[in-house]
Amino acid sequence: MSLVTIQSLSFTYPGSSTQALSDINLSLAPGEYIAVVGANGSGKSTLIRCLNGLLVPPPGTVCVDGFDPAEPSGRVGARKAMSVVFQSPSDQIVASIVEEDVAFGLENLGVPYDEMHSRVDGALGAVDLLAERHRSPRFLSSGQQQRLAVAGALAMRPRVVAFDEATSMIDPNGRAAILGLMDNLVSSGITVIHVTHDMDEAARAQRIVVLSEGRLVFTGTPERLFASRDLDGYRLELPRSYDAALKLGLEPHAGEDAAGLGKRAARACGMDVLAMISRLEPAASPADGSPAGVTAFSVRDASMSYSAETAGGRPAVQRASIEIPAGTLVALVGKTGAGKSSLLQLLDALAIPDSGSVVSLGNTTSDRSADLRSLRMRAPLAVQRPESAIFEAYVGDEVAFGPRNQGIRGAGLVERVEAALDAVGLPFQTYRDVLTRTLSGGMKRRLALASILSLDPEALLLDEPTAALDPATRRDVLSLIQSYARQGRTVVMSTHSMDEAALADMVIVMREGAIAASGAPDTVFGDAWDESWGIGRPFSWTMAGAAKDELNMEAVR
Amino acid sequence: MKGIEFFRNVSIGRYVDVDSPVHRLTPVAKYLWLMAIIIPVSVSSSTAAVLACSIIALACTVLAHVRLGFLLRGFVPVLPLFGIAAVFQALLSWPGDASPILVAIGPASLSMREMMAIASMALRFVAMMLAIGLFTSVTTEGDTARGVEDLFAPLSLLGFPARGFALTIAVAFRFIPIVAGEFESVVKAQAARGADFGSGARGPIRKARAYLPLIVPVTIRALERAEALGEAMEARCYGVGPATRYVRSVGSTADTMARIGAVMFAVAALAGPLILGLH
Repeated sequence: MSLVTIQSLSFTYPGSSTQALSDINLSLAPGEYIAVVGANGSGKSTLIRCLNGLLVPPPGTVCVDGFDPAEPSGRVGARKAMSVVFQSPSDQIVASIVEEDVAFGLENLGVPYDEMHSRVDGALGAVDLLAERHRSPRFLSSGQQQRLAVAGALAMRPRVVAFDEATSMIDPNGRAAILGLMDNLVSSGITVIHVTHDMDEAARAQRIVVLSEGRLVFTGTPERLFASRDLDGYRLELPRSYDAALKLGLEPHAGEDAAGLGKRAARACGMDVLAMISRLEPAASPADGSPAGVTAFSVRDASMSYSAETAGGRPAVQRASIEIPAGTLVALVGKTGAGKSSLLQLLDALAIPDSGSVVSLGNTTSDRSADLRSLRMRAPLAVQRPESAIFEAYVGDEVAFGPRNQGIRGAGLVERVEAALDAVGLPFQTYRDVLTRTLSGGMKRRLALASILSLDPEALLLDEPTAALDPATRRDVLSLIQSYARQGRTVVMSTHSMDEAALADMVIVMREGAIAASGAPDTVFGDAWDESWGIGRPFSWTMAGAAKDELNMEAVR
Repeated sequence: MKGIEFFRNVSIGRYVDVDSPVHRLTPVAKYLWLMAIIIPVSVSSSTAAVLACSIIALACTVLAHVRLGFLLRGFVPVLPLFGIAAVFQALLSWPGDASPILVAIGPASLSMREMMAIASMALRFVAMMLAIGLFTSVTTEGDTARGVEDLFAPLSLLGFPARGFALTIAVAFRFIPIVAGEFESVVKAQAARGADFGSGARGPIRKARAYLPLIVPVTIRALERAEALGEAMEARCYGVGPATRYVRSVGSTADTMARIGAVMFAVAALAGPLILGLH
């Protein structure tokens, strides 16, 4: 008996001419764990919204626990049976106190007072947030906020929980906690639907569903998907462990983690394993033409805090000192709230230190005579989700905004816009007159990057440039950044992906506003590594570490 | 932090977390006292009534262990408004004002009666700001919303959406920092591309144009986030039927006394001066 049944489901948004979902057929059993993958805009979120009636599917196409969300009465039943955890942690919190937020759904269902309290206790316990129950959700980390959203879902006692890219905006530790919660749900008999861009996460599921342009193009076990040759066509990629196993000549196991693969590799390959693992890493390509010995950014004992004058003020950067040589690609890592965004803003003079100093491209930012406006254009910052700042109607105008502010007009302006759009893979001739609002999420991210590249900057500051992108777009954006850095320009980017960080020339680790470590990836993820940073290691490092342990164990035996 | 920051200007979270008899009152009692002070202060023509309201507000502040200085700092942003009102009081003379002139500069003069009017306005102003400041210092965001629900509970029998109204207030509280954050993020994104807000542009249209890079994305983002929150609320069965409540606002006998006291005080402050013929 299936819990969720979808039969010939098609859905078109009002006013749109193309179908967002087209003839989907799928059924889910109780306690099943499925992953839904597909490129940005492939219809994953639309599918989830059709299941619980946030979008109204055609009658008779969807059945959740016996309810048809096309009918008003069925919608309530479907929502009771299926909870959804959404992408943005802060956008699903209603109340101003943690426990009251968990109770929100129960209040709506009219659950009696005593039962409500015992259910809230149970849900908070399940996500390990009992200690925070009386706090304001505002002061929780994004990982904790997302666990709070899970608690709100669990309190409803659902039979299905859907996670709609729920791990894409939180740091590695927070992500691991949510994945652990999913496993707990599945083992307690609840069906889990996990929408994700991360193929390693998808590989943990029992079954994977692939959507491409609104069509269901694949459903089957992860092993079958990864063995098929169609991944590129779906704009997907192999999970890291699967890919690494193939490269090491081992039989790949879907859902295996880095440590598991490392141990297996050590047993199979013996002493050669470490050399083999080190060859998996793409060799860092040194930048050409970088001026030696020149410092791009120099931070000396800088501190800054938000709302310093008020009671709620908190330090964001504490006594940070770092020298960033010109022409380096720098990765900034650390837990959420560690101060990465704040440090980037200090470098861009969008924030001025309360004490200490920051010298950006030769300008001391706290100097009253410094021309901060032109400095910002020489080293522009792409804020998180930079696409949210797009405001012009047409692509070409958006990209021209920056150079216009630099006083560039006429042929020079066209040249800049053309070069920038071509660089991000949105050819000028095709896209110059396209309406910005018609672009997909991934294209908007690239447009936002083009609109700072058109400033022809000396340095780029990027705050999580690859967050929430599908694997293919992520790869495009990364190679764009790398090719920019290879021209001898400085790039400082923050990231939650240690594999991206491992590609940089220099890694800066932040913890609680301070710089905990900095240096080449080999140093930071090698000898200097400290578990307390709370960030995890790059895949190959974790694998090599596990392989080493395994070899030592064997030696002891 | 210097540079670009907007959170500083958003005054929320002024709740002072201490235990006091005033804090322990139910939200309804707090609302009733807030109105018992604000209404007479705004409409009563009796200085005695306004003075009584001020004293009550001051007494509650002491009782609530809230520092007076903390409340007074809240006045600062509205002082210019008060200044303008005072200037108008001084410049516009009453017809037939025969009270002695205190100061005269050129054609403008300040009479005794005008002086008294300004003083009385200042007193009303202080009493009102004190009452509002105190209310936000002793009431959490959640209680502010729940109090509205409780206050309008009798009307909900007639079909008034008390819970929906309360939730609107709660969501508005949630949205203040969200919109401020979006605004800050967009300002930073545009500043990084060399946008220069406000300076240089002359004329209302050019000025408005200079803010276009802010208005469009901030509006879109605020709407998107509102939609996301709306979806999350709907997914959690908002509005499906009669709701229950996680937090009960049950007061003690003292609370009931406080409610009765508030109503009696308001009646006395409004009707007393009329009956006694005070002015």
